[in-house]
Amino acid sequence: MYSHPQNNVYRSGDKTSPISVILVSSGSRGNKLLFRFPFQRAAECPSSLSGKKRNPYALNTTGEVLEDQDGDSRFSDIILATILATKSDMCGKKFELKIDNVRFVGHPTFLQHSPIIQANADPSVISCMHNLSRRIAIALQHEERRCQYLTREAKLMLAVQDEITTVSLILMSVGGCPQSPFRQILPKCKLARDLKEAYDSLCTTGVVRLHINNWLEVSFCLPHKIHRIGGNYIPPEALERSLKAISRPYHALLLLESEKALLSQLPLDCSPAMVRLIKTCSAVKNLQQLAQDADLALLQIFQIAAHLVYWGKAIIIYPLCENNVYMLSPHANISLYSPLAEQFSQQFSGHNLPSMLAKFSLPVSLAEFRSPLEALAQEAQLIQMVVWMLQHRLLIQLHTYVCLLIPPGEDEPGLKEEELPLAARVGGRSLSTPSALSFGSPTSSDDMTLTSPSMENSSAELVAGGDSPLNKRMTETLLTSLSEHERQVILSIPAAQSPEDLRMFARLLHYFRGHHHLEEIMYNENMRRSQLKTLFDKFRSVLVVTNHEDPVISIFQSPMD
Amino acid sequence: MATRIECIFFSEFHPTLGPKITYQVPEEYISRELFDTVQVYIITKPELQNKLITVTAMDKKLIGCPVCIEHKKYSRNALLFNLGFVCDAQTNTCALEPIVKKLSGYLTTLELESGFISKEESKHKLIPIMSTLLEDLNATGACTLPIDDANTIHLKLIQLRKDPPIVQEYDVPVFTHCKDLYIKSQWDLTTQQILPYIDGFRHIQKISAEADVELNLVRIAVQNLLYYGVVTLVSIFQYSNVYCTTPKVQSLIDDKSIQEECLGYVTKHGQKRASLRDVFQLYCGLSPGTTVRDLCSRYSQQLHRVDERRLIQFGLMKSLIRRLQKYPVKVIRDERSRPPRLYTGCHSYDEICCKTGISYKELDERLENDPNIVVCWK
Repeated sequence: MYSHPQNNVYRSGDKTSPISVILVSSGSRGNKLLFRFPFQRAAECPSSLSGKKRNPYALNTTGEVLEDQDGDSRFSDIILATILATKSDMCGKKFELKIDNVRFVGHPTFLQHSPIIQANADPSVISCMHNLSRRIAIALQHEERRCQYLTREAKLMLAVQDEITTVSLILMSVGGCPQSPFRQILPKCKLARDLKEAYDSLCTTGVVRLHINNWLEVSFCLPHKIHRIGGNYIPPEALERSLKAISRPYHALLLLESEKALLSQLPLDCSPAMVRLIKTCSAVKNLQQLAQDADLALLQIFQIAAHLVYWGKAIIIYPLCENNVYMLSPHANISLYSPLAEQFSQQFSGHNLPSMLAKFSLPVSLAEFRSPLEALAQEAQLIQMVVWMLQHRLLIQLHTYVCLLIPPGEDEPGLKEEELPLAARVGGRSLSTPSALSFGSPTSSDDMTLTSPSMENSSAELVAGGDSPLNKRMTETLLTSLSEHERQVILSIPAAQSPEDLRMFARLLHYFRGHHHLEEIMYNENMRRSQLKTLFDKFRSVLVVTNHEDPVISIFQSPMD
Repeated sequence: MATRIECIFFSEFHPTLGPKITYQVPEEYISRELFDTVQVYIITKPELQNKLITVTAMDKKLIGCPVCIEHKKYSRNALLFNLGFVCDAQTNTCALEPIVKKLSGYLTTLELESGFISKEESKHKLIPIMSTLLEDLNATGACTLPIDDANTIHLKLIQLRKDPPIVQEYDVPVFTHCKDLYIKSQWDLTTQQILPYIDGFRHIQKISAEADVELNLVRIAVQNLLYYGVVTLVSIFQYSNVYCTTPKVQSLIDDKSIQEECLGYVTKHGQKRASLRDVFQLYCGLSPGTTVRDLCSRYSQQLHRVDERRLIQFGLMKSLIRRLQKYPVKVIRDERSRPPRLYTGCHSYDEICCKTGISYKELDERLENDPNIVVCWK
């Protein structure tokens, strides 16, 4: 005998919530609907109908389907059992059936459990529901093999149903209303309660944690519910991109809940690496440092961070430091009456959110908030407020990006437009992770100690100082990706007369495509901010500089873009 | 993604053989196995009749609408049939649903009027009909076929688009392509009346006043144009506006086609084409705290060949730049005074000026001197 748990999901207007959860079985006793939640609305009793005044203008629209009617209350238990109890050759694969505006998704197996979703739900929601269905199915299958859990629960459910049916028949014969058997099943059946809990969780938080038979844990999250900014859910492609964004060692992991809260949510048998990471994590520490402090490999850090991001427990930022420039996020809710404003005043008494946010109307660096008269405690509070605002996606960080654009020549104006700009021509050198880098104090990222030139890709292999033929040749090689005209223009800049400046320019050339921000160049090339800024200034006639958010991690602040 | 129909089938309940596929085009597409698995969803119990049913099985999606016509003249007192489509399981079949439903309606009518399906000779005509349907719908997304002297079928695949946002009175519609591409007579009268006033600079309120069309009608008409991608919305242009770059501004460097489009769009009439460097510099010159006026004075040399209004317009349309709006918030107020209506952080200067009729400058003067109000830019 095998059973098919099916979930139906539908709620008018909410395309990510299930309509209901259904468990169906098919076997020697025929097809049976074991359980459904929410319970179907009890059929109208004849006695209650006569009590209502008939509206003389009402049309008898028996064939019509109302848009906002509960999707599956139109389906009786019997028809559901028939349509959802699939044949054996559909087992082990995703089951999807759409009837008018209700969609059924499930995973028939020897145990099938499927969610039903609103017909025009995003396909990613459908596959997530299917995923949940499958997980529950696997857990049930395991428990069935071990101790016939499902058979026992199914027997219970059927027994209660039979009992209630008998009672209902008696009641109806005396003019009473038929009852729903499923209501009675709930208190008696753990599986029914689990399914109900899955449904409730899916509709509200999007996080499902069940213990099937009080033993096996099934956990699942619907990213569409957890990752919401404003009223919209983050599309899964955006979520995928955000997971891919966890690849730079100079970024930091910002937890969205307190360390204590997060640790209490972890299951007992969770990995100790996760615990270590959560305990050592900090907004001022980049992932490289986190790896060192938590004594984990960088790759492992990336993986655990991705896990936390997927579950909506953390986001990626650039580590906090005084030179960071922040600005109000275009999606920030700055309303006086927003719940965020309320939370903010509770957490930081004496301050109100809109005033604080107004301070970030123009891009401002944290250093600018410092004043010699301010006590250290106030400075610490400022950092806390900034962290709070980052966690609630109110701020974005701006970075400086640089692009090489040579002014077109006078003699060949037309040609210049046809040529691909540098960005397309310069094949990017792979910017792999430096093996070791030490940082100065986190509050001033400029204070970086230079390591020995042992880094693989650093251009520090160019011998410092001197106009040696080796250096000259290297500089020339680096400039070969430029056209003759471009090379001439660069070489005619006064700063290019200094061999060191020219060398630095040549070695950093591949960064000048508008895709690498200042801090990334600083990290990879082990340079100070002031060095870079001076270089940009010297070569400003061929460079165009602009400030905007980092597209790699802006997904965490503005997922809708 | 194109909705490709792999097969069209006609299934019915045979009085002795039970549910079967009578015709399918191309032949032999649906295997015995597949039909066995899904037949309960093709020829269905009464509760499921007349419903659009899509079932996914064995890497295929079958969409059909089971019909049941009851009459004494039929053996078993009812005629059950279903004309459906088969697609690959990954296909998004929403656009096919109205067609399937319509077809089931047509066939029902044909049967009721002239026994089209119950008579063998006319039923046979279904095969060429299904072939034509398959070919035309896959090729052009539309099909018009005469069935017999009196009846013709018209079908069209309609792609569903995303719901358009609400259009506000301070939004500015701008054509995404040259406006001459659109045949004006195809649009409704209201839209035709406002079309000449859509120039990428007039906002909705202004269009309503100048075209003499009621505000809400203008909003709905523009929302309709928005739905079809004919226009997009930008914000009101003023020299006091502040903009800043988005990460997408780099696409001007990376993407040749956007480059071409941009340089063509922003170059002043009659001038030689503007250089990429100048245009890129101008966009990068936009930053918080810098007004367009400031930009014009700082980069006057670059603006020789560039129309700054079209520069801003293009930048907004392609999201290379975004507008920074001012939102006043009344943070301190007397307990007894009324709660702020417009100064709540939810309404921008654009909106307040539009709704109250006062100018930007006036509003600025009023608010700047008010110590209880802070202004946020975002």
